[in-house]
Amino acid sequence: METAYAMALWKMVAEGMDAKKAVHALIDVLAKNGRSSLTPRIARAFLRIAQRQLRKDAATLTVARDKDERYAKAAVKDVLEELGIVSKDLKTQVDDTLIGGWRLEAKGTLVDASYKKQLIELYNRSTA
Amino acid sequence: MNTSTVEKIIKEIQQLTPKSERHSVGSVTAVGDGVVAIDGLSNAVMSEIILFEETKGKKLADALETQGELYGLVLNLEEDGVRATILGDTARVKEGMTVKSTGQILSVPSGEELLGRVVNALGEPVDGKGPFKNTTMMPVERQASGVIDRKSVSVPLQTGIKAIDAMIPIGRGQRELIIGDRGTGKTTVAIDTIINQRNEPKGKRPICIYVAIGQKESKTARIVEQLRQENALEYTIIVDAPASAPAALQFLAPFSGVAIGEYFMDSGRDVLIVYDDLSKQAVAYRQLSLLLRRPPGREAYPGDIFYLHSRLLERSACLSEEKGGGSITALPIIETQEGDVSGYIPTNVISITDGQIFLMAELFNKGVRPAIDVGISVSRVGSSAQTKSMKSVAGGLKLELAQFRELEAFMQFAADLDKVTADRIESGRRMVEVLKQKNGAPIPVEKQVAILYAAGGKFFTDVPVGKVTAVEAQLANYLDGQHAKTLASIKKTGALSDDLKKELNKAFEQFRLAHPESFAAAK
Repeated sequence: METAYAMALWKMVAEGMDAKKAVHALIDVLAKNGRSSLTPRIARAFLRIAQRQLRKDAATLTVARDKDERYAKAAVKDVLEELGIVSKDLKTQVDDTLIGGWRLEAKGTLVDASYKKQLIELYNRSTA
Repeated sequence: MNTSTVEKIIKEIQQLTPKSERHSVGSVTAVGDGVVAIDGLSNAVMSEIILFEETKGKKLADALETQGELYGLVLNLEEDGVRATILGDTARVKEGMTVKSTGQILSVPSGEELLGRVVNALGEPVDGKGPFKNTTMMPVERQASGVIDRKSVSVPLQTGIKAIDAMIPIGRGQRELIIGDRGTGKTTVAIDTIINQRNEPKGKRPICIYVAIGQKESKTARIVEQLRQENALEYTIIVDAPASAPAALQFLAPFSGVAIGEYFMDSGRDVLIVYDDLSKQAVAYRQLSLLLRRPPGREAYPGDIFYLHSRLLERSACLSEEKGGGSITALPIIETQEGDVSGYIPTNVISITDGQIFLMAELFNKGVRPAIDVGISVSRVGSSAQTKSMKSVAGGLKLELAQFRELEAFMQFAADLDKVTADRIESGRRMVEVLKQKNGAPIPVEKQVAILYAAGGKFFTDVPVGKVTAVEAQLANYLDGQHAKTLASIKKTGALSDDLKKELNKAFEQFRLAHPESFAAAK
């Protein structure tokens, strides 16, 4: 029940309704139907939906070393364009376990050009 | 790692050119009881294989130590993600783990290399004899052959069990259910059928597949050993999803088995597949469905439990000559509770299959083995595949036995019986004895024909009931030794001509003269 209310709230805001107005409208409906006690649960469900959406929209570029960032950003330019992501929304992080290369996770897509992945594949091929 | 592997890796590293790979991904939001909820994977399709990425954040050395890749199978497509089942160790999946879409539908390897091997539900060898080198991948879920691609069942599949080959004949491409309580000899019937295929000429011998679902490992090990000892393992493949395997693998095992069989059927070969048993598969599927939060129906089974079995058994077929003429004969097994065949799963499978062999606990306990209840056992298409010789000797057998069972019940209340009834009961008793058979001892069809011809000709009338089984065994040995040519002619022609009948009558007379002690006045 609370997920349905939270989803409705999310849709109203996503469709352009003022967030404050949308929340007040929801509170009014809940009071009218005698369901005000659901409010905290709806809030938690809304938080889950928002977090999920943020995760979905997040674009993260992982590199092995700080100095690889410039080269990696240039390499992912085409992919970002294709996915409709502007470069200012791209977060960069360092993970030295990648050894080299880069790894991009954005909008449910993973592009892996890390040395670690290729070395693992090479090992699996050689030992099979 | 040995030196040559290291050298190979060094050479490859020198030639390494960085390349990127693109995947649709999601992340694990919840995991438990072998089922995982995943956010994302918007492009996933049903029955797609997904790969859990265990190497993220791990150092290369640790990543290389990870035991094989961990896969999952998409079973539910939902608004914001998917639900999948883990095809391996659940403990390896963590919340937040990245999951990659592979774009591949679950497939298993199949080919000649699998003969004599034991594989799991994913087609991976589990018998310690090493990996497969040259196999063809077959999709686990495939549309069953259509009407145009099929032809009627016309070639018999000999089980080597007198009662079945005579009264409930099975044809190649048929689906014959073996049903009964636990411990009534269901697996024995199926295994004897597999063993009996060694009597078929190599070119016509069906490839046998035994799918063990939710069975004890010790039982499967015993079956493998029995097949090895009987030289039946060389044409048999065992698909093992033991009781200790996750429910997902128990649900998948029959589909993997039939996918392996389809490779042989597509190449024009005959296949015999045993599903032991589908009740346990239904229970595994119920478990999965409840964990996937699908709405429960009757006995908490999901609504598509009928479709689960019908789509599996519809894949058994007898293909037309244009399609290569191969076939898959299925012997599904169902376990009943207290002999109740009107349960949900038994009635479903009875309605799907082309007949059933019902094994009765009461008969089994009386010592009638195989404990087949002739009254409710039936083969709907097999009679058209029965050889002429068998048809000629088994014609009235089923009716005679059914009448005997009725009279036997009536006899308990009646003190005096007229001569006709008493004779019929005596004859029925002997026929029951003739149809008894030890487990693991299937009989070639020509010998069955000879024995049933003898029984039909009142050969055993003068043999005391208690001695019938022994005399029958003696007669079989005698025919094997002294009249092998006659038996070979029955096998070759598939018919019982007047000349062959004369030869058999002569042989019976000689046997009677040689063993007068066995034919002492019986009552």
